[in-house]
Amino acid sequence: MNDIAAQNFRGGAGDLAPGQSHESPKSFAAGLGSYLVGLALAIGLTLASFWAAQTHLIYGPGVVAALVTLAIAQMGIHLVFFLHITTAPDNTNNVLALAFGILIVFLVVTGSLWIMANMNHMSVPMDELMRMQP
Amino acid sequence: MFGNLTWAAIPFDQPIPLYSAAVVGLMVLAVLAWVVIKGHVPYLWREWITSVDHKRIGAMYCMLALLMLLRGFIDALMMRSQQAVAFHAAGYLPPEHYNQIFSAHGTIMIFFVAMPFMIGLINYVMPLQLGVRDVAFPTFNSVGFWLTAAGALLVNISLVVGEFSRAGWLPYPPLSELQYSPGVGIDYYLWALEISGAGTLISGINLVTTILKTRAPGMSYGRMPIFCWTALASNLLIVAAFPILTATLAMLLLDRYLDFHFFTNAAGGNPMMFVNLIWAWGHPEVYILILPAFGAFSEIVSTFSGKPLFGYRSMVVATMAICVLSFMVWLHHFFTMGAGADVNGIFGIMSMVIAVPTGVKVFNWLFTMYRGRVRFSTAMHWAVGFMVTFVIGGMTGVLLAVPPADFVLHNSLFLVAHFHNMVIGGVLFGAFAAYEYWFPKAFGFKLHERLGKAAFWCWFTGFYVAFVPLYAVGLLGMTRRLQHYDQPEWHPWLLVAAGGALLIFCGIALQATQLIVSIRSRRRLADSTGDIWDGRTLEWATPSPPPLFNFAVMPDVRGEEPYWGMKRKAIEAMQLSAEPSYEAIEIPRNSPTGFVTAFFAFILGFGLIWHIWWLVVLALIGAYATFVVFAWRDETESVIPQEEVARIDRANRAARALALTEMTA
Amino acid sequence: MSTPDIALPLSPSELGVPSVPGEATGHGEGGPAPKRIVVGYGFWIFLLSDIIMFSAFFATYAVLAGATAGGPGAAQLFDLRNVQIETACLLLSSFCCGIASLAVEQRYARLTQVALLVTGLLGLAFLTLEIREFAGLIARGAGPSRSAFLSSFFALVGCHGAHVSAGLLWLGTMMAQFYAKGFRADICRRYLCFSLFWHALDIIWVAIFTFVYLLGAGT
Repeated sequence: MNDIAAQNFRGGAGDLAPGQSHESPKSFAAGLGSYLVGLALAIGLTLASFWAAQTHLIYGPGVVAALVTLAIAQMGIHLVFFLHITTAPDNTNNVLALAFGILIVFLVVTGSLWIMANMNHMSVPMDELMRMQP
Repeated sequence: MFGNLTWAAIPFDQPIPLYSAAVVGLMVLAVLAWVVIKGHVPYLWREWITSVDHKRIGAMYCMLALLMLLRGFIDALMMRSQQAVAFHAAGYLPPEHYNQIFSAHGTIMIFFVAMPFMIGLINYVMPLQLGVRDVAFPTFNSVGFWLTAAGALLVNISLVVGEFSRAGWLPYPPLSELQYSPGVGIDYYLWALEISGAGTLISGINLVTTILKTRAPGMSYGRMPIFCWTALASNLLIVAAFPILTATLAMLLLDRYLDFHFFTNAAGGNPMMFVNLIWAWGHPEVYILILPAFGAFSEIVSTFSGKPLFGYRSMVVATMAICVLSFMVWLHHFFTMGAGADVNGIFGIMSMVIAVPTGVKVFNWLFTMYRGRVRFSTAMHWAVGFMVTFVIGGMTGVLLAVPPADFVLHNSLFLVAHFHNMVIGGVLFGAFAAYEYWFPKAFGFKLHERLGKAAFWCWFTGFYVAFVPLYAVGLLGMTRRLQHYDQPEWHPWLLVAAGGALLIFCGIALQATQLIVSIRSRRRLADSTGDIWDGRTLEWATPSPPPLFNFAVMPDVRGEEPYWGMKRKAIEAMQLSAEPSYEAIEIPRNSPTGFVTAFFAFILGFGLIWHIWWLVVLALIGAYATFVVFAWRDETESVIPQEEVARIDRANRAARALALTEMTA
Repeated sequence: MSTPDIALPLSPSELGVPSVPGEATGHGEGGPAPKRIVVGYGFWIFLLSDIIMFSAFFATYAVLAGATAGGPGAAQLFDLRNVQIETACLLLSSFCCGIASLAVEQRYARLTQVALLVTGLLGLAFLTLEIREFAGLIARGAGPSRSAFLSSFFALVGCHGAHVSAGLLWLGTMMAQFYAKGFRADICRRYLCFSLFWHALDIIWVAIFTFVYLLGAGT
């Protein structure tokens, strides 16, 4: 694909590349805002994660849920403020691709965990199995 | 100095590999010598090896696939003949060799025949169907192809230097761990697949981006040819599934090389995790193979029935449904390995559900043919043969999807017959149909029809004669991968199966003959207009073979069905549309990057297999240097002048105008 | 050539086509997208494949996390202080990468090189800390050969570290290219890809320090 051909059409006009925040560059200061807010939020959430793992203030089994939520929030901060992923129509393809990836990750991880837990539950433990060898 | 590599790596004491390696080696040397002496090297280097043109790369993928089909088929002949004679006898293949043969057969057929052929097909046809000049990343495309070729080379070198894996086409631990497979065989397999897997992933990324981001103006998703939809689904699956293969094989490599304990028996390893992960890749893999074949059949059935595809939208929905569902069934490959009834039941049900979209497709093809004016060309023979064969294979698959039934049939020859039914009946028949259909577009002349039909009948009958006995013998209890056996009930079936393999050999021989005869009669079989089958999609708007830039002016498909609408208008008006205004065209420059990268990848793999560490370091430095040299290029494109573009397009327009007057006269 | 003179039967392929060509529908009927979008999107797809590869390592870690084979487990081995510093390094590195993106957009040559340098140095600091951690574990007899848990830990975190290393090599090459060739369009596109890569590595690190270190040390 060459730029001459692309310039002949209003090709894919309005679509944004992932990581691109706008069609034409705004001023440095305007773009900086997004990164500063993202950094501040990410630092806050990271500190919260470390605190949540070590504090006694959260009900024990709830710590896992808290950490998962904070992790997802941090990833979201990165996606929005650093990678400029939005829900606008010019970002549709990027979001769809991301959603597909997340779906696959979910299927692989939860599927593997479920299957392996099931198998481990049904199987003889490995060291016991080795002891059964002639 | 040379790691573990010694003269003992060459199988001087094993006559069969030694002589076959010698024969193949001599043939390769003879071909190379002929090429060099006749002075073809500059042409080959300039036009093929360094080409970044999707048409050349697609053709090379297909050539690699067909070549490796011969190697894989010879393995099959050896397996069938061994099993035909090894009743109360040792046969002629010792077990260590037989094990390598069935491992090589599966590995080569899946990774170096089926995958390259489908990717090559998509590479060639899809940009033409989308009305664009090339794929999104042409040089990357070349890298992907040559990495696949490097992987194929590594697998084939193992015949001469060292040995191949004996653990089957998917090397389950603990057999594939260092303790039980101390030789280099598994390492050849692993590095060959990591390297070619990288190439495949590159291809996947490239083709997804091309389909989603570069299409002719006006080509919305709803106007995309169905082949491009299936190509999209297949490549999305490549992008999603191949990383899992890369990771899993890497874990096995870490176990073997650095004493990790992912899948070992000791120190808490879990061999079942390998089985789980490898099939999480393995099931999407078979859909990666079949979806392009479905797309090709859709195009072929539509063209040769003279009707648009029935139920285009339901085909698209079915294709994308298959894409997603294929990640939800993988446990059916190991029902017997210890998961509970609830897990088995759910995956069994999902396996039956995934048959539904395929059924939708079969009905759509049948309804496309219904009330059409069907022309039974060779490609159509393959299409109808596919419909029958694939449905039968699918039915045995639904049978196997029932966990209790699978407990009886798992790893028997029934299973072997089932998956060959799908892969041969689906993928291979699709490959051959597409080969017949698009060969004239690629080379400017069609293939000899009668030889093609004869080849089809040999393949079709040969397939059933070879594999129906395997269903029978599987039900009689025969396990797969047996080097010898003592059951008298199995013997007659296996003799018949060997006969079937010979029939298939006749089919292959006829296909080779067809190619030679067609080349020699190419003037008589020539395609003058570029639209030899009265096609419906945009690739038939180009001359055969298409020029480097595909389209002189990018087609604008706003407001009409791609190509078919344009053609109807021209026929109604009895003249072609007005000549477009021609401009110079920029095309990406050829580059040796792909070839050189793959060269270093091959050296890297070889060094890692034999533990020649200095070679590994050298190869890594070479690969990085190649990347830097490529990144430092200033001239990335060359220009085809306007006069050249005009000349080529006017020649094609004249041929089409002539055909138009002959049609209406 | 835009509207047919002869009425053709309405086919499914004509449905859903927007009336105004070129509007941002993500449907791509405007023709091939500009190079920046094509390159960016292609790299985005690669990143998704990389994330899926990491998920295979994550799944393996999750399955094998308990298989310590009588050896040391997460609670005994993980130094959360070290992880905090590593996290800070990588997060700040990501931020500097963003600064560099802005500088590239505005064509500030000096700021670009400085921001890239700081990005690289922070990344190098991260890597140094990680290598020290690995060396320490191996010296304590808690290397990857000790148990399946440790194998999966070293592989997952090591894979991330390998990606960071490759990224640093790429970063060095990018700095050299900006220096030698300035803000040429293709080099800016490559920088877009690098910044996507670098931010994604930080996202993966979030998952690692949460699910491996924090959850592991807590048990």
